[in-house]
Amino acid sequence: MKKELSKIAVEGKHIVKDFRLGATTTKVIKDISLQVQQGEFVSIMGPSGSGKSTLLYILGGLDRPTGGHVLLDGMDISRFGDEKMSRIRRQKIGFVFQFYNLIPNLNVEENIMLPLLLDGKKIGGYKKELNHILELVGLSDRRKHTPRELSGGQQQRVAIARALIGKPEILFADEPTGNLDSRTGAEIMKLLREINQSIGQTIIMVTHSPEAAKSSGRVITVKDGGIV
Amino acid sequence: MKIILKYIFTNVKERKTRTAVMLLSILLSTTLLFVSFSIGESYESAQRKMARGMAGSATLSVTAADGGIKGENIPKLSSAGASVGVVEGTALYHENGYYEAIDLLGADLSGLNKINPPRLVNGGEITNFSGSQVILPDRFTSKYGIDKGDTITLEISGTPVSLEVAEIAAYDTVFLRHTRGATALLPLSTLSELLGQTYGYTEILVKPAEEISTSELKSELEQALAGGGYRVSEVVNEVQIEADARQKSMPFFLISFFSLTMSIFIIYGSYKVITLDRLPVIGTFRSIGATQKAVTKILLAESILYGLLGGFLGIPVGVLALKWILRGMGQSLSQGIEIPVVISPFSIIFSFAVAVIVSLLSAWLPVRRASRLPIKDVVLGSVEEKQIPHRFIVGAGAVLFIVSIFLPRLASGGASEKLLYASGGFSLLGLIAAAILIVPLLTNVISRGLEVIYRAILGNEAGLAARNMRDNKNITQNITLLFISISAVIAITVVGNFVTAYVGDVFRDAELQGFADGRMEPDFVERVKDMEGVEKVLPLYVYKNEMQADGVTLRRLEATERLDWYSSMMALQYTDKEMETKAISAFEQERVVLLSESCMERMGFSVGDMITLAGDTGQNDYRIVSSFKSRATDVEAVISASNATEDFGAAAYGFLAYTAADPDAVMVQIRDLFGDTSNWSRTVEEFNTDALSTVGAFLQPMHSMTYFILLLAAVGVINNLLINYMQKRRSIAMYKSVGLSNRQNLKMNLVEGFTCGLIGAVIAIFVSYMEIKTIFLVAGPKIAMTPELDAGTFLAAGGMGIIVTLAGSSVPILKSRNMKLVEEIKFE
Repeated sequence: MKKELSKIAVEGKHIVKDFRLGATTTKVIKDISLQVQQGEFVSIMGPSGSGKSTLLYILGGLDRPTGGHVLLDGMDISRFGDEKMSRIRRQKIGFVFQFYNLIPNLNVEENIMLPLLLDGKKIGGYKKELNHILELVGLSDRRKHTPRELSGGQQQRVAIARALIGKPEILFADEPTGNLDSRTGAEIMKLLREINQSIGQTIIMVTHSPEAAKSSGRVITVKDGGIV
Repeated sequence: MKIILKYIFTNVKERKTRTAVMLLSILLSTTLLFVSFSIGESYESAQRKMARGMAGSATLSVTAADGGIKGENIPKLSSAGASVGVVEGTALYHENGYYEAIDLLGADLSGLNKINPPRLVNGGEITNFSGSQVILPDRFTSKYGIDKGDTITLEISGTPVSLEVAEIAAYDTVFLRHTRGATALLPLSTLSELLGQTYGYTEILVKPAEEISTSELKSELEQALAGGGYRVSEVVNEVQIEADARQKSMPFFLISFFSLTMSIFIIYGSYKVITLDRLPVIGTFRSIGATQKAVTKILLAESILYGLLGGFLGIPVGVLALKWILRGMGQSLSQGIEIPVVISPFSIIFSFAVAVIVSLLSAWLPVRRASRLPIKDVVLGSVEEKQIPHRFIVGAGAVLFIVSIFLPRLASGGASEKLLYASGGFSLLGLIAAAILIVPLLTNVISRGLEVIYRAILGNEAGLAARNMRDNKNITQNITLLFISISAVIAITVVGNFVTAYVGDVFRDAELQGFADGRMEPDFVERVKDMEGVEKVLPLYVYKNEMQADGVTLRRLEATERLDWYSSMMALQYTDKEMETKAISAFEQERVVLLSESCMERMGFSVGDMITLAGDTGQNDYRIVSSFKSRATDVEAVISASNATEDFGAAAYGFLAYTAADPDAVMVQIRDLFGDTSNWSRTVEEFNTDALSTVGAFLQPMHSMTYFILLLAAVGVINNLLINYMQKRRSIAMYKSVGLSNRQNLKMNLVEGFTCGLIGAVIAIFVSYMEIKTIFLVAGPKIAMTPELDAGTFLAAGGMGIIVTLAGSSVPILKSRNMKLVEEIKFE
């Protein structure tokens, strides 16, 4: 079912991020404000060290801003404690990483169900959702395999399935094709595009690749810690 | 070379925690090994000192078959060193109702100083020692509040004699003794006069010349004195001393064995991670042209550094530990002697060499594997560990397990002692190795079951924790280390407890309150019966290795007039209750024999069988009327005294047991009755106290060393948890990125720690049980008494293991609380 457009999925207000390295403080993000609407597919681009990934992690609640606020579903998540933030990650956010970040000793099914398991759900009640998502990412015949038995593209599909199983408000993707060859990368982008279009999944993606960025509806360019 | 060395030292310096853990594990194993060796030698030296007592460095005693012996009777031999003539006698000291047996000694002081100089407590020398004077040991004077210059009265041959205390000596050298009581040194002429020793000495003690063995001197003296009516005998049985010391130091080698196994495991585990950690550097080295050999050398050089440092520090720590362990131990021994700290060059060299070799070999396997990796895989970081199929590993483990269990059992059925010990050693190692091989599969199977149970009872996080244990090498390493250390603690505790129980078993539940062991004529027994307060007196004829049952020598046969008294006095435990009545009624009417269960088993006899008992003086057929449980007393057969007299011509008794209103008072009178005749007479209370305090004192160091084992185990577990955390950091971050909270992380880690501890404890209980069986099969006393496998010991050790792992879980819990999530997950 396609989600309703024109409602703010996530909003960053005056985000600032400093990194301290010894006595030196580096401003990685300098007062960025942005809004992403529900159902949007946004790409964040920029040169290495521009702060694009940091911005993504702050918006996704994996990192805290030094200043400013992040509003997700109307809540300011930038000051949430561990327990609240963990729940947000399980229920409202899905993450896809460049290096997949799958748990190596869990099989495909178990990796996908992880957010639900951590949310205290009984797996038995989610069989239908699991089958559906496995079919969506094209891994129905690989459900009992462990990550080391899968190719890079397949591993990234598992990561996407894991990010989507909890029906999150937003899917964050950090260079999802960065570790894949161009053909496989194109397949992953096609999958993300389909997910965005078929169910209206909000996606915010960091990428280096202009080719990948073409799949998104909007491109935000970050340079020297600010949006250009 | 300089760069390489700099690289090695920088590695050691940068990884402070890991370096500390590696060093500590090598240091502790070196210390344990060094202490085990040195304690054995220290025991041997103490044992020798106690056994020699007043003889000191003299190893031979020459006595005349009749009367005394003079110094000039001993021929001047180049093989003989110093010698001293001594006069010996006995006396009684009586104070406030207490009787103390005193051995009197008179000697030519210049000769005595050469073989065993008395050591005065004031550090001075003995001068003007003559007339009615006496030198007493401080243990005796402090007990009775006697000071230098006081006068004491001793009863010598029934006559009270007053003597002035000329000096007080340390309880050492001539004053050392095997039995209770004290030794008093008197001027030679005074003692000779008091005892009526008109001709020469009681005996002359001779020390062999440098580089001459006791046996050489003995045979030369025997040849020189042949036909002169003199007897040359060894003061102590050296072989027996060595055997006793070896038996006492055995448990320490058991400790060394476990500690070495643990060290190898810790170092091997650490090196696996070190090499994994160093893969990028290995890749760089290889890509710029370093050969496999060069990479291996660089990495091994670091392990040698750990070995050298561990060895260098381990020996001095070992010396301190040894001094601490032996400190005061002598005082707690009934003999109260000082146990010397013996440090031999062999202990130092061997322990040091083991430290370096163990460190080198444990590192060699992972290092060699790393240096052989294809350069491309190393540089690209695509190294994957080779998976050996479970089936093969478990198969090998199962075979090793079966062989380890059955080999010593097969060898115990008649193989030589050497083969039995070899099979025992193989079994101890094999059981641990087999368990190590089986641990991964076992962990998988158990965690599969627990995953379902935990999920139903404790929730999804607990289920995930159990799931994460499957195919997890860190977990299996933790379990392995834990089971080795827990089984070490269990095995050492059980062996220690058994030795204590074994010693206390001799007179457990027995009615007798005192006994005399020595040659006693019937008249002697009658006099004991007449003593005031004596209730029951049970004299026994004793045959030690003198009688044969169907051609097989019996270790000890006793003959009694009253089986009913014998049964209660000696707490004879019949195989079943009915046997007692049958045996007592048959005892007086026919020729019957009671045999111990182990004797029956050894010879394949059954109750009702007819056997032939034969001795030097006769033989006859006896019916086996009943059997009794074997005990630490060595008694294998009991027959009636009338049959012993009739068939074997028994005349003098060898043992006497009694009960009395005041067992101590009777004992003093019995000792007096023996006079100069050799005897070993004790009250049961005295015997048990002495035996238990001696064993307790010897075992105390073993218990102290158990703490070292635990420390080593704790070091290993912490090491593993650090390794675990290093490797788990990323996976914790992955979990956190999908919504794992700190609370859930805590729960998962605690469940994982608890389960690890539980599996480790269960395996340890099983392995240690099998190890104990092997130890007792191979090295245990040959009696039917089995070690008491107290469930409490097993559960306590298992529980301790669980607590250690749970405590260790705090490392990942605390460290992951403040984890920088993005840093951990962003980079591969």
